[in-house]
Amino acid sequence: MIDATLARLTASGRLGSVNGILLVFAGWELSARALSGAFLLASPTEVLAYLAQNPGLMGRALAATLAEAAAGFVIGNLAAMALALIVILTPRLERTIAALALLVFCLPLVATGPILRVLFGPGVGPQVTLAALAVYYTTFVPLLVGLRAAPATWFDVIRSYGRGRWTELVQVRAAAALPYLVAGLQIAAPAAILGAMVGEFTGAERGLGVLTIRAMRGLDVPGTWSLATLAAGVSVAAYAGVGWIGRQLSSGPPPVILAAPVSPGGAVGPRRVAGGFAHLALIAVLVLALWTGLMDLFGLNPFFAKRPDDVWRFLVTAPQAAEHRATLFWALAETMAVTLPGYFAGLALGALIAAAIVLVPPIAAVAMPVAVALRSVPIVTTAPLIILLLGRGALGTITLVAVMIFFPTFVACLHGLRQAPGQVIDVFDSYASSRLQRLMLAQVPAMLPAFFAAARMAVPAAILAATVVEWLATGIGVGSLMALSASLSDYGMLWSAVAVVSLTACTLYAGVARLERAVLAVYASEQFA
Amino acid sequence: MTKIGLTRRHLLALGGAGAAAGLMRPAPLFAQTPVTLQLSWLHSVQFAGSYIAQEQGLWADEGLEVALTPGGPNAPVEPPVVAGQALVGISAADYTAAAVENGAPFKIILVAMQKNPFTIASLPGNPVREPADLVGKRIGMALANTPVLQALCTLNGVPIEEIEIVPTQYSAAPLLAGEVDCLLCWLTDLPVAMAIQGVDSVTMLMADYGYAVHSQTYIATEDSLANRRNELVGLIRGEVEGWNAYRQDTDAAAALTVAKFPDAGLDIETQRLQAELQVPLMFSDLTEQHGFGWWTDETVEANVETLALLGRQVTPDLWDRSILEEVHGS
Repeated sequence: MIDATLARLTASGRLGSVNGILLVFAGWELSARALSGAFLLASPTEVLAYLAQNPGLMGRALAATLAEAAAGFVIGNLAAMALALIVILTPRLERTIAALALLVFCLPLVATGPILRVLFGPGVGPQVTLAALAVYYTTFVPLLVGLRAAPATWFDVIRSYGRGRWTELVQVRAAAALPYLVAGLQIAAPAAILGAMVGEFTGAERGLGVLTIRAMRGLDVPGTWSLATLAAGVSVAAYAGVGWIGRQLSSGPPPVILAAPVSPGGAVGPRRVAGGFAHLALIAVLVLALWTGLMDLFGLNPFFAKRPDDVWRFLVTAPQAAEHRATLFWALAETMAVTLPGYFAGLALGALIAAAIVLVPPIAAVAMPVAVALRSVPIVTTAPLIILLLGRGALGTITLVAVMIFFPTFVACLHGLRQAPGQVIDVFDSYASSRLQRLMLAQVPAMLPAFFAAARMAVPAAILAATVVEWLATGIGVGSLMALSASLSDYGMLWSAVAVVSLTACTLYAGVARLERAVLAVYASEQFA
Repeated sequence: MTKIGLTRRHLLALGGAGAAAGLMRPAPLFAQTPVTLQLSWLHSVQFAGSYIAQEQGLWADEGLEVALTPGGPNAPVEPPVVAGQALVGISAADYTAAAVENGAPFKIILVAMQKNPFTIASLPGNPVREPADLVGKRIGMALANTPVLQALCTLNGVPIEEIEIVPTQYSAAPLLAGEVDCLLCWLTDLPVAMAIQGVDSVTMLMADYGYAVHSQTYIATEDSLANRRNELVGLIRGEVEGWNAYRQDTDAAAALTVAKFPDAGLDIETQRLQAELQVPLMFSDLTEQHGFGWWTDETVEANVETLALLGRQVTPDLWDRSILEEVHGS
C-alpha cells in the first residue's frame, strides 16, 4: 500500500519534471520565433539541425572544453576540501585561510587570464586554472559550514572517549558535511564549464569558448545557441549526476542540533576589536608579501605584472594620481550601482523559490529545470540577448547579476531547508501544523547557515558577473575599464582596479559575515563552536 | 572494374598529394631554432600569409621552427612579447604606441595593413557613406574606441556631440536589431558576417578619410633587434614570401586556412570573402614598389599625426625598418 503510493508519487514527480522540461523547450521555441530576424536567439529545432550537421566539430570542441572543465573541477574541489580540512583541524588558521581564499577568488579574469597564459604558454593551463578557480570557493564555503553542522553532544561523546579532532572529523563531521559538499559540487559543475570557456578567451586553439567567440562575431545564431545548449546540457547532466551520487550516499534525515546561543556581544569588547585590527594588518602584510613574492618567484616582467608599490605610486604618489583615482572610482561606482541591486534580487529570488518549492512541492518540477538551465547557459551567450530584451541601461546588467547569484543561492537554500531535523518535522506533523508554519518555524531556521554561506559566496560572484557583462556587452564600469587598460597596456590601472575590486569584495563580504554572526548566534550557534 | 578505377584514382590522388607535400615541406637540413609568433586574434585567414610560410617550409629554409600562437578576447599581445615568450607579436600602431608609453621597449618592424581596417558599417536604407552622414546617427561601438571616432570627426570637421554613441558588444546584431544605425568595426569581420548571412551593408573605410594608423604591425623588443637579428630576418622573410604567395591566390589561402585548423569552426565562404577584402588594405603602390610590409617617412608622418589625435605622442623612431631593408635587400 505504502509502496504503491510511493511509486505513484515518484511517477507523478517524473511526469512533472518531464512537463517542466517540455515547458522550457516550448517557451524557448516560441521566444526564438518571436525574435526571428533579430539574429539573437535560435530555436531548439534550429539547434538540433545544426548539431546534426556539425557533429564532428561540435564533438571535438565539447571534448576539449569538458576535459579542461573536468580537470579544473577535480583540482579546484580537491583544493577546497584540503583548505576546509586544514581549517577544521587547525581552527586558529581559519580567518587567515578564509581571507586568502576569498581574495584569490575575487581576482578578475581580465587580469589573471593573460598572466596565466604567460606562465603556462600554449596549451590548456589557463583554461584548467580558471575552471579550478571558478569552483574551489563555492565548495570551500559550504563544506566548512557542513563540517560544523553536527550536535555538540556528539563531539562530547568523542572527547569522552579521549579522541581528538581527527576522530571528530572522520566519525561526525564527514557525515554532517556530505549534503553541503554535494550542494557545493552541484554548483561547481556549471561554474567549471563556464570557467573553462572563459579560459579559452586567453588564446586557446579549440573548445566551446573559441567556437562561441567565432559564432557570435559571425552572426552564426544557430551555432552560438548550439554551443550554449551543449554547455548547458552537460552542466545539467553533471548537476543531476552529482545530486544522484549525493542521494546514494546520504544517510537518513539530519539530526537535531542543539547548541546554546553564543552572544555576538562577546565580539565587541575593546580587546577583541584590537585583536581584529591586528589580524587584519597581519592578513594585509601577508597578501602584499605573497603578491610581490609570487610575481618575483615566477619572474613576471614588471611591464605587465605590477607590484604593490607600483599600484601605490599609480593611485597615490604619481603626478596624475588624482586623475587615476577619479577614473577608477567612477567606474567602480558604475559597477556597484548594478551589482548591489542584482545581488539582493538574486538572493531574494533564490530563497523565495526554494521556500515556494517546500510549500508547494509540484513547483519543483517546473522551477528546477528552468533554474538549472538559466544558470547553465553560459552568460557569454545570454548577455547580448538579455541586454537586447531589457535594454542597455542598468536593468539588463542587474538581471544578469541576479541570474548568476540566484542559482547557487537557490540550491544552497533548498539543501538548507532539507536540513530541518526529522524529529522536529515529526513534532510539527503530529500537531497537524500547516506547511507554512513548518517552513517558518523549523525549516527556515535550519536553512539559515546555508543561506548565509550562499550570501557570502554571492558577493564575489556578483561582482564577477557584473564585470563580465560590462566587459562583453555594456562597455561601462570597472569591467570595461580593466579590459581597456589591458588592451592599452595600462597595467598600472589594471592592477589598481584588481586591488580596489578585491578590497571592495572583501569589505562587502565582511559586512555579510557580520550580519551572519548576529543571526546565527541565535539560530545556529554550533557554527561558532 | 569500377572498383579498380576508384582505387587507381585514389592512389593517384594520394601520390599527387604526397608529391605536393614533398615539394612543400623540404626536410630541414640543419637544427631548427624554435621561435613563437604571437597572433593578435583567433586563427583565421587574417594570418594566412604566416600559414603559407609555415606550410611551404619558408621558415624551415631559414632554420626556424615557428609556432603560431592564437590570440583572443582576453589575450593581449604585448605581455608574451615583453616576457620573451614570443619573438614577434602582431599589434597595431596605436596599441604599440600605448605600450611604449607604458614602458615597453617595442619597435614596429613590419606593417602588414597599410590601411587601417576600421570601418563605419551601416544598412543601405540608412547609410553612412561619408563622415558628414554620421550626424544624428546612433553608432554602436566599444566606449573604449571613442578616441578613434573623435579622431575621425576632427579630421573631417564633424561635431562628435551630434553622434549618439551606444556602447555595444562587438557584433552586428545591434545593427540588425535596430538598436543602432551604424557600427564601428573592422571592414574584414562584421560586414563579412552580414554578407554571408545575406545582409547587404554599406561600408565607409576610415582610412579613406584621413585616419592613418598602421594596423597588423609586427612588433619586437629592442633587445631582440639587437641580439636575435638573424631570427627576426628569417621570420620576416618567411612572412613577406608567405604574403606574396597569399596575394597570388587568396582562395587557396582561404582553403589552406580552413584545412589547417579543422577545430577553429571556420567557414570557407567567410574566409574567402575576408581574404579578398584584406588585399587592398595590405597591398598598395608603395608595397608594389618597395615590397610587402614597407613604409616611408611620409606614411609614418601621417601616422604620427593621427596618433596625436588619439592622444598618443610618438616619434618616427617607433618604426625600425632595418629588418625589412635586409629582407628586401635595399
